[in-house]
Amino acid sequence: MASRNWKLITMPFNKENPITVQVLGICSCLAVTAQLKPALVMAISVTIVVALANVIISLLRKTIPPRIRIIVQLVVVSMLVVLVDQVLKAYLYDVSKQLSVFVGLIITNCIVMGRLEAFAMTNPPLPSLCDGIGNGLGYGIILVILGTLRELFGSGTLLSYPVMEKIGAYSIGYENNGLMIMPPMALILVGIIIWIQRRKS
Amino acid sequence: MKKFSNRYMILYSLALVAVASIVLSVTAVALKPRQEKNKVAEQQQMVLKSIGVEASRSEAGELYGKYIAERAVGSGQQAANGNSYYTYNIDGREGIILPLHGTGLWGPIWGYIALDEERYIIGAVFDHKGETPGLGGEIASAKFAEQFIGKRVVDDKGSVKPIKLKKNTDKKSLYEVDAISGGTMTSNGVSEMLEKDLNSFEEIIKTKKI
Repeated sequence: MASRNWKLITMPFNKENPITVQVLGICSCLAVTAQLKPALVMAISVTIVVALANVIISLLRKTIPPRIRIIVQLVVVSMLVVLVDQVLKAYLYDVSKQLSVFVGLIITNCIVMGRLEAFAMTNPPLPSLCDGIGNGLGYGIILVILGTLRELFGSGTLLSYPVMEKIGAYSIGYENNGLMIMPPMALILVGIIIWIQRRKS
Repeated sequence: MKKFSNRYMILYSLALVAVASIVLSVTAVALKPRQEKNKVAEQQQMVLKSIGVEASRSEAGELYGKYIAERAVGSGQQAANGNSYYTYNIDGREGIILPLHGTGLWGPIWGYIALDEERYIIGAVFDHKGETPGLGGEIASAKFAEQFIGKRVVDDKGSVKPIKLKKNTDKKSLYEVDAISGGTMTSNGVSEMLEKDLNSFEEIIKTKKI
């Protein structure tokens, strides 16, 4: 049992990655990865929302009438997202400004609804929790890779620390690549990640 | 598949929504003071930025108290709207800071404009609720705001002459700045905001020396 739960957490990192394999959650992944910090916060927020929503829906699964299950799922997800949004506004104000509408848009993030429908509706709470954490982190890992690459090569910084300036790259004629901070570049990078991943398996 | 009656479904949804709204109301009320504090600090940061002081959110309160004083507007439209204006005193330089409120393309836009004793602009800062990033949203950039430095809001006789955002500006003019390409509606909003609010602050611009 324990090894099955562990598998649920680790599978989404590679073989069942929500972004690169299931190609879900692309929209927010393009929008919030221009810098590493919002990417990290978004990853954590989505992980918390998927995990908790999975547990709540899994606990309720036997009482939910199938005909209104999507509405029930939406109510639970929206409640959690508004909670996350409120907490960010109170404790991480700058990040919440940067993430702006994208926190609210977690509600429509296909990964969340996808996991609720495909997993939590038919599985007990503990595996659902593991599945939620796994998928949230699987989404997060891609966000962090993109955020790192885009911030480092687009702005020359990492978490606002001027890496490129410190290693003296500018003095030998290096310049930041403006394309990196545009959303299309995130799509190209996701494409490259998918390519490498498919190539390996 | 188990059958559920209509009555069950209706009661189920009502109960679910009731629980969700209670949870949300409690959190909203509990977190309100912290959120308000953040908003006040952000506004103080913006006012400080208009006189060229970059402050982090934690040091904003202290620097604000040191350089800025809030003043009541005596009468007129601005007073009716509950707005006040500000005076600054930084390293011996003194003047007034006027708050601006207007409408962009998608929602509210606002800003602060700092004037010296001769009513030249020493700094300006703008922000918006939901203008398009990269287009109208550029009004929040330093590059846009810097254009205002050195411009003037009164003519030689001392009456108010608002700055306009235009295409192909006359670089020597004290009353024109470049509009944002691709952000025409937002730029028009900024022009209107400047015209409306500078005129309604006319008395203060004319009479209050600092």
